[in-house]
Amino acid sequence: MGKESSDKSDSVSSRKLVLPGDLLETKSKPGRGIFRRDGRVHASVLGYSSDQSGYMNVNAITGGYTPKVGDKIVAICVETGPSVWRMDIGASFNSTLHHSESGWKVPFGDTARFLTIGDAIWAEVFMVDAAGTHQISLKKDDCRKLYSGTIVKIGPTNVPRVIGKQGSMITAIREKTQTRILIGQNGHIWIDGKGNDIATVQKAIEMIDNEANSKGLTKKIEKLLEK
Amino acid sequence: MAGQTDMELIKDGVRLDGRKADELREVKIVAGVLDNANGSCYLEWGNNKVYAGVFGPMECHPRHKQKADRAIVQARYTMAPFSVNDRKRPGYDRRSSEISYIASQAFEKVVMVEEFPKASIRVDMQVVEAHAGTRCAAMTAASVALADAGIPMRDMIPACASGKVNDVVVLDLNKEEDNYGQADLPLAIIPSTGEVVLLQLDGHLTPDEFEQALDLATSGCMDLYKKMRLALENKYGGSA
Amino acid sequence: MSNDSVSNLMKGHMESLAKEGKRADGRGINEFRKVTIETGMLNTAEGSAMVHLGNTKVLCGIKMLIGTPYGDSPGSGTMMTSTELAPLADQSFDPGPPREQSIELSRVVDRGIRESRMIDFEGLCIEHGEKVWTVFIDLHILDNGGNLFDCCTLAAAAALSNAKIPNVQHGVADKDVDLPVTCWPISCTFGKLGDSVILDPTSDEEGVMSARFTVAHDENGNLRAAQKGMNGAFTDAEIREAVKTARASDNVLREALKGIQG
Repeated sequence: MGKESSDKSDSVSSRKLVLPGDLLETKSKPGRGIFRRDGRVHASVLGYSSDQSGYMNVNAITGGYTPKVGDKIVAICVETGPSVWRMDIGASFNSTLHHSESGWKVPFGDTARFLTIGDAIWAEVFMVDAAGTHQISLKKDDCRKLYSGTIVKIGPTNVPRVIGKQGSMITAIREKTQTRILIGQNGHIWIDGKGNDIATVQKAIEMIDNEANSKGLTKKIEKLLEK
Repeated sequence: MAGQTDMELIKDGVRLDGRKADELREVKIVAGVLDNANGSCYLEWGNNKVYAGVFGPMECHPRHKQKADRAIVQARYTMAPFSVNDRKRPGYDRRSSEISYIASQAFEKVVMVEEFPKASIRVDMQVVEAHAGTRCAAMTAASVALADAGIPMRDMIPACASGKVNDVVVLDLNKEEDNYGQADLPLAIIPSTGEVVLLQLDGHLTPDEFEQALDLATSGCMDLYKKMRLALENKYGGSA
Repeated sequence: MSNDSVSNLMKGHMESLAKEGKRADGRGINEFRKVTIETGMLNTAEGSAMVHLGNTKVLCGIKMLIGTPYGDSPGSGTMMTSTELAPLADQSFDPGPPREQSIELSRVVDRGIRESRMIDFEGLCIEHGEKVWTVFIDLHILDNGGNLFDCCTLAAAAALSNAKIPNVQHGVADKDVDLPVTCWPISCTFGKLGDSVILDPTSDEEGVMSARFTVAHDENGNLRAAQKGMNGAFTDAEIREAVKTARASDNVLREALKGIQG
């Protein structure tokens, strides 16, 4: 399921907090979270700088979801049209799911029979254009409509913390609670299982989201799951 | 400015509240105090108390305000009815409209609006206690809230006023100085370039005094900028 | 970011938890969230209080001005309650003049305070038929984490308990004295979630519940104000049960209020 490798920038050793406007001394190529002024590189977001593999990046540690092609996400239907669904994916704008990307044979005007307002899906971002609009697809890999369980929304910049190093955090949560979990890159997380187990996972995930920048988080989560 | 007055606001270089001419009132900034807002800040500046909260980028409403090639910043400055000695009628007045408008434009200079076509970034500033200098306090808090919300920016903008009392140019007017002083000059700058993004003036300044006042307000902004950084480093843990 | 969409899955999950007497945040169905009350933080107000109820944060400021009494009660002071749903508190709070939601909230809080006679209005008369104090209760909602009704009533009660009549500033007397307060009204708000009724709903729960019921009691356990809201309905039995539950549950809030008297 999706990309569960932890973000490299998460390694605690070399990271440095930078604020918007901070000058970054580097000979590397400019990557994300930066801008150039007078030939010099500055941070554009609050985050940790990383100078690796020839690129200077600032990995944001707060902020909204910017869709990228290939991202696996949990989306919620907010509007139905004759041949499309408008889906909330937690970005600045709602995304579009065209009937041709649904995998279903949808007669014109009959979209709501397949997916109605409030329904949730596991989908993939397959198109993002320069104007910032995007489309998602249900035709890839394990993409599907979600029929049970619940959805928890967290800050997308905390998704790597929920996954943990090499997936350690999420593996522990899954094993301790006997739940099925899908982690959208957009910070929408689907949890399925018994009611009590879902509630425990929701608590754990919300704790990670609220205390993503605090130390000793792993221990706290372990304690919560032992209960 | 009420103009000339016999009131002695500064004596032997010491002001009524005990400050020197180039001294700021005490400033306390806390980032991330609200749960719902995408970014937030609480700021105390002397007795001024201000909350700022940011939502977005999000779809811009009403639609006719959308810009096809960039986001707009919708800043709004409001004073609570209980923020002043005589109860203020709730809601928007001409003064808050003007401040909201020029603050929006100042933020649009630093926010990377070109990254979010057709979107809106909402910046709400709530003054809950006012003792002169609230627009500067509100904009400073809003800058911290914008950074806390993860909004891409070229810099954070501190805002600070200078002015003139008893013919002396002073930094950061307090309530009495604002009421009975001779000039008030709120300023907001981009620290990394020194550019001015907001400047207002009312009162009376000679050309020399204006230069002095500009220098003083700029140095006030730079001081404030350090406190803004500290607030965010406190929340996000500094370098680890 | 549009974080306001609610999936049918979330609704189903919260409803099935409530059926078992449980909540997503670990509370029982008749339990309040953690409440903290701070008072006297505003120098420009005659009284002030900040109340946190879970993630909900409300700041209340009391201002007092001299006005004229109503013709039918020439010896009584007057009061006015306003709420400001500050846009920073919730993405769905639009800037602009107060709308129905805010007016309903103000009026329900106003009724609880007024009908319980929390303020001794006769004590606010300066000159019979001519001059009385008008008490302005201004509630500033800073963070909407759900259940604004109870949080606002609590903030108003705390700020009033903390208020001083500004006699000196208005030349009425040479000393400021405490606003005469006789009792504390406490409101309890319930939500209908599926077939269950829950106390003190969070904003997530408000997003999926169908009806709301608020009841305010005085210290003697008598009802002083009530309001049913939203487009769902309660059964007759649910309403009766909720009123009983409110009396049994509101001591948490009373204790918190007593704490500020210290």
